Amino acid sequence: MTFQIIAEKINGTRKSVQAAVVGRDQAFIEDLARRQAEAGATWIDVNAGTSPEREPDDLVWLVQTVQAVVDQPLSIDTANPKALRAALAAVAKTPLVNSISGERSRIEGVLPQAAEAGSPVVALALDDAGIPATTEARMEVIRRLVDLTRASGIPDGRVYVDPLVMTISTNVQSANTALATMRAVRDEFPECHMTSGLSNVSFGLPARALVNRTYLTLAVEAGLDSAILDPLDRELRASLLATELLLGRDRHCLAYTRAFRAGLIGPVPAAPAKTPV
Amino acid sequence: MSQALIDAIAEMEDEKAVRLAGELLGGGESPLAILDDCKAGMAVVGDRFERGEYFVPELILAGEMLKQISDIVKPHLTQGGDAPKLGKVVLGTVAGDIHDIGKDIVNFMLDVNGFEVHDLGVDVSIDRFVEAVRTERPDVVALSGFLTLSYDAMRDTVAALDQAGVRSGVKIMIGGGTVDDGVRTFAGADAYGLNAMDAVNLAKGWVGAN
Repeated sequence: MTFQIIAEKINGTRKSVQAAVVGRDQAFIEDLARRQAEAGATWIDVNAGTSPEREPDDLVWLVQTVQAVVDQPLSIDTANPKALRAALAAVAKTPLVNSISGERSRIEGVLPQAAEAGSPVVALALDDAGIPATTEARMEVIRRLVDLTRASGIPDGRVYVDPLVMTISTNVQSANTALATMRAVRDEFPECHMTSGLSNVSFGLPARALVNRTYLTLAVEAGLDSAILDPLDRELRASLLATELLLGRDRHCLAYTRAFRAGLIGPVPAAPAKTPV
Repeated sequence: MSQALIDAIAEMEDEKAVRLAGELLGGGESPLAILDDCKAGMAVVGDRFERGEYFVPELILAGEMLKQISDIVKPHLTQGGDAPKLGKVVLGTVAGDIHDIGKDIVNFMLDVNGFEVHDLGVDVSIDRFVEAVRTERPDVVALSGFLTLSYDAMRDTVAALDQAGVRSGVKIMIGGGTVDDGVRTFAGADAYGLNAMDAVNLAKGWVGAN
């Protein structure tokens, strides 16, 4: 099973995307969708990021706009049951539902819809009491969540557990806690996938991309087989290819050498020489 | 004034800063003068944070230094007890949202900068905010939220404070990953902040401590 990329760029919490959503700038969204698909996205995440009253309409517009130009299935990114219902009615392919958690509102409002749609789900390791501080407490939340997904008829192979990495800038053990949780999930729920956002870990630090991609490397070793990331980030993609290569998951190193031949990793191909003026 | 102490705080030499504070106290320096040096050191740190030279870890460490030094110095304050607080802040992540990283950093920075902070936690109901404002009579209410869903809760919380007749007595700031002036207007807040230093500067401005 190859690493799955949930492409993150169509997210209304980014200012440029929010403007495109509100202004119905179809070309802007199409371009983001196409470029992420070409760069190897498994799922294209869509998050309207608008206020709850207008989110259903905005999310449906995003779904329609994106699926008109790419073949990849979508990841419906919302905590709003109404917006999810509207989006699930509009999708052409079974999407990933991003996300459920141990929070009552999501168990009641999101999980049944995901089960009914036959969708895989991202399951966040938090509940109404917040994000547990320790690995053991997170595992308790994850066990309850897997009980619930199983009871809803969702097989473990369609569950993407997100162990939730916190910022390292306020607690230097944050990554260790997330990595230990990943190892525990791998042991206890070997059929489940695991996914993670990469940017939380570097909040409050400079040169965040470096921290994010190094975290990804460590996390892949700990069992992460999916991530919510920017597939257009050349250095991040390169890091991921090298990590899978080193973990023995790249048969005959072909993904790596092919990426090199295609100019996707290694030296950036020189721009054509300019004629002096 | 001890430039060495100010510099130690500003340069993130935490062990040296705590040692220097102890030595100054032992040498007869007044506790209030030492706390003033801490404030001056914190001001340098805050300034560097705003210029993008320092980051969240430096803010946190500076706060830790200030806490440790306060613990050493406080028992020697002649009036006993704490230095007077600049003002009172009621803080919380609004209903429906459980994000706490930003809120906790804001709590910490307001606290070490001399505010009395009542942190109501996360997913704080409108009623609990109203109740806390009634009983605590704060100068400032700080509403935190990361989800876009939280904008509605911010607006409803501000409206409820208004209905309860306590809105005019407080200044309200909002903060969180995606707030901007549009969200501030929507929520009916007085100001918004993008980071913990913004929160400190806004609160100081409102209580006339700048």
